[in-house]
Amino acid sequence: MNKKKGFFATIGGWFKRAFFGGSNTMAKEMEEDPSKHVEEIVTPFKQIMRGFFERKIAVGAIIVVILMFLLAFIGPLCMPKYYHSYTEITQKNVPPTMSMMRVPNELKNDIKMIDSFGSFTVGLSNAGKVYVWGSTKIGTTGVDLKDIPQEIRDAKIEFVAAGIDHAVAIDDQGKVHCWGYSKLGQYGYFDPAQYPNILSEPDELLNGTIDVANIKKVTCGYQCTAILMNDGSYYLWGNKNVYQNIENFTALRQLEDIDFSLNYIVGITDGNSIYTGKRGLYDQYRANIGEKTLPAREFLKGRKIIAVYTTSNNVCGELEDGSVFFTGDFASNSLPMPALHENERFVTLCSGTYHYTGLTTEGRVLSWGGNVLDQCETPKDLSGTTRIYAGAFQSYAVNDNNELVGKWGLKGYLFGTDSYGANIFQRIIQGGKMTMTIGAVAVIISTLIGIIIGCLSGYFGGQVDILLMRVTEIVSAIPFLPFALILTSVMAQSDISENNKILILMVILGVLTWPGLARMVRGQVLAARENEYVTAAKAMGVKEGVIAFKHILPNIISIILVSLTLDFAGCMLTESSLSYLGFGVTYPRPTWGNMLNGANNLTIIKNFWWQWVFTSIFLAITCICINIVGDTLRDVMDPKSDRDK
Amino acid sequence: MLLVLVILSILMFLIYNLIPNNRAYTDARNDMVTMKNMLKGKSEAEKEAFFQQRYEEYQRLYGTDTDNQAVRYLRWIGLAPNYYGKYDGLLQGNFGYSYELKDEVVNVIKEPMKNTIFINIFATILALGITIPLGIKLAVKKGSRLDQTVQVLTLLGYSLPAFLICIVFIWIFCSVLGWFPPSGMKTPGTNYTPGSWIWFKDRMYYMALPLITMTFCSLGGMTRYVRASMIDALGMDCIRTARAKGVNEKVVIYSHAWRNALIPIVTLVVGWFLGIFGGSLMFEQVFGINGMGKLMIQALRTADSDVIVLLQMFYVFVSLLGNLIIDLVYGLVDPRIRVSA
Repeated sequence: MNKKKGFFATIGGWFKRAFFGGSNTMAKEMEEDPSKHVEEIVTPFKQIMRGFFERKIAVGAIIVVILMFLLAFIGPLCMPKYYHSYTEITQKNVPPTMSMMRVPNELKNDIKMIDSFGSFTVGLSNAGKVYVWGSTKIGTTGVDLKDIPQEIRDAKIEFVAAGIDHAVAIDDQGKVHCWGYSKLGQYGYFDPAQYPNILSEPDELLNGTIDVANIKKVTCGYQCTAILMNDGSYYLWGNKNVYQNIENFTALRQLEDIDFSLNYIVGITDGNSIYTGKRGLYDQYRANIGEKTLPAREFLKGRKIIAVYTTSNNVCGELEDGSVFFTGDFASNSLPMPALHENERFVTLCSGTYHYTGLTTEGRVLSWGGNVLDQCETPKDLSGTTRIYAGAFQSYAVNDNNELVGKWGLKGYLFGTDSYGANIFQRIIQGGKMTMTIGAVAVIISTLIGIIIGCLSGYFGGQVDILLMRVTEIVSAIPFLPFALILTSVMAQSDISENNKILILMVILGVLTWPGLARMVRGQVLAARENEYVTAAKAMGVKEGVIAFKHILPNIISIILVSLTLDFAGCMLTESSLSYLGFGVTYPRPTWGNMLNGANNLTIIKNFWWQWVFTSIFLAITCICINIVGDTLRDVMDPKSDRDK
Repeated sequence: MLLVLVILSILMFLIYNLIPNNRAYTDARNDMVTMKNMLKGKSEAEKEAFFQQRYEEYQRLYGTDTDNQAVRYLRWIGLAPNYYGKYDGLLQGNFGYSYELKDEVVNVIKEPMKNTIFINIFATILALGITIPLGIKLAVKKGSRLDQTVQVLTLLGYSLPAFLICIVFIWIFCSVLGWFPPSGMKTPGTNYTPGSWIWFKDRMYYMALPLITMTFCSLGGMTRYVRASMIDALGMDCIRTARAKGVNEKVVIYSHAWRNALIPIVTLVVGWFLGIFGGSLMFEQVFGINGMGKLMIQALRTADSDVIVLLQMFYVFVSLLGNLIIDLVYGLVDPRIRVSA
């Protein structure tokens, strides 16, 4: 313990001497005594600081570097909900937008219904006008949901529903209008012989009308649509590849309710079970998320299911006595349903992609389920709410006058999402932490090796010097990138934990980058060795090792600092390059290098620009600023460069 | 120098062993498959015995029938005989066999090697042709607006990772301007005879963007270095004397100063020329050029050990060659060294 403290005190002493000068007392004396006053005495540190702060660019650069550090190391603390392997299939490649919850002003006081499934939301006013907001451009298809067809603008719409890339509207005449992307069977006529994987939109909808007054529910899934009538008949069409149990439903005649989860169509046929056409799916019920499951029959005890509400991979069912139950898989971070008061029942329930929102008889609005994107952060004041609507990741509360009382959930993504649907801004912050940590540790390792070898070799000279310089030569003769690639790929194939891999990566980077610094330290030590203070120390009988590390090293620490700064940027770049090539740190752990991994083809570079532009900017700015700081420090410390000015 | 080579070869042998592969085992298994008919009707024990026999034979052939690493190393190099008393190592030209590409490694790397050397030398010439005049000009006009602008640009050039510049250039030249194809070596479907004008034109069309990017990436560091050493050289006493004597300014710069600035530059140019070989790995990968870097990444992904080792050897060889060249060229540009040596 004592020894350790001694070690840090020594290092502190070096820095003190480098920054504040060796002999403060003498300097003070000279300042106090006017007769001794010759010239203002400035410590090396002060001189360097003065020189440094005279340069505006350098000051700006160091501020940016510090900000980046703060962002990367404090930012992750502000994102408790973040985890590396987060994926969200309905939010892939969403461009930067904050408009996902921005209900248009005209709609705010006249809401009839709101629906969404993916990244955009459709709303309907009582006047029959359709509004679309959110991220409305669908991938590379060129389809923009905001371009609502003229026929829909002209008609008085009664129902709307939104899927992942299409939307449906039904007007007061019973005509079903669809818009959006249609190539995968979302709407329109598809010849069954030619497209076996598409269930075409029924003829009576394409060419005729349906009885609007009789419609019970219009709902859209992932490229799939269902219209349920009050008499139990229904229309269903869409992409069979997404919903494989679509065939089971075409055989049915009557349905009580129907809804879409991410992969299955869920319906109620007789009220005794949830029908999916798949045995063993959704047949274990529980009263609340996280509670024990019971087989369907035991749980229901003769009670009938009257409605289902589906999220991505679980289902909430409503029973005839007003209670609810849950079935399906729940992520471990799902919030359970808040406890209801006695005799309190749900009036309305609705479901998003992961969350449920319910309005109770007491007027309380509750949200529960998946909360990763703040879907359950219900605002405090929602009094007067009589209706609620759930978007994919948002909820909206509406009062009796059709006015919007409150909205909560996902606003959007500042920097868009990547091809896995993860928030790029969050990944940039997390990736910055990883990249900077790796760079910093690697550079510390390389500096330590470099200093030790450089000092030994420079001070002792002779055989030691020759031997160490041979070693340095060998290491520097190793071609860096190929060698690092081999080592990291060998490491990737071996069976060690992810954290150890990253540790080894740091060591590899550190061990391969020290020769430059070692040579420089050696040169400096060689020069410093001839100074008088070394001779004095020798004459006093100080041990050789002590002279090398305690007397000479503090005198060259400024040069080491400069190289530390510049090497830090270098190590960050190397790590990024390795990760970019798919070695080094790999997905799902983000670094600034592997986040750019996807940007290796023209489609992404051109269409999904946000997936590389922001990460690149962060990486570039950080590296440039670190280099500016290092360069300026070198210029300021080097007395020769003053002469050049 | 020789010592360095030996130690590096040991290092490479270690790498070779690190990559999980067992050539004898693979070959013996393959034999089992090809001799399926012969082995039909035999019992499991007999099959196992046959496999063991084949396995041992191959181990002897490849010199892996001993656990003594030193012996294995010497056999791998070609300095010790294998079981059959035959010398069959790297020195005898046995570089191994690529299981992924089903060919001798030497044949596998022929074409990529040509491409890599071609683009690297081309990019080097381009970069040197730009950086040296530019660096000299900046050093002479130090502090001018041009100097300051280029300083900022070069800072960008050497702070940014190569792949980032690749992405930006692909975006600018392929997506926005549409001048060049983003990747590939030739127009798909065409089959021009190598050496003809049209073949050359097509090739240059595809090579243009990688070359531009490579050149751009190396501009930053080089220009700064040339400028710095030129400034140092211009500050020397001999330059002042020459000017005092009334020597033509051009002669002062290009003859007196440049000669003195050359010594540090040569070290850098050669070192950087070697770095570019390793660095071209990135460009080949991004632009889909059939070069050694791309082959290396492909081999690493499939753990094709013989290919990896030979490529690594190539890189090491280039790097050692570079060190030798540095020493030789030093003598050329700095007469003092020749005298002392």
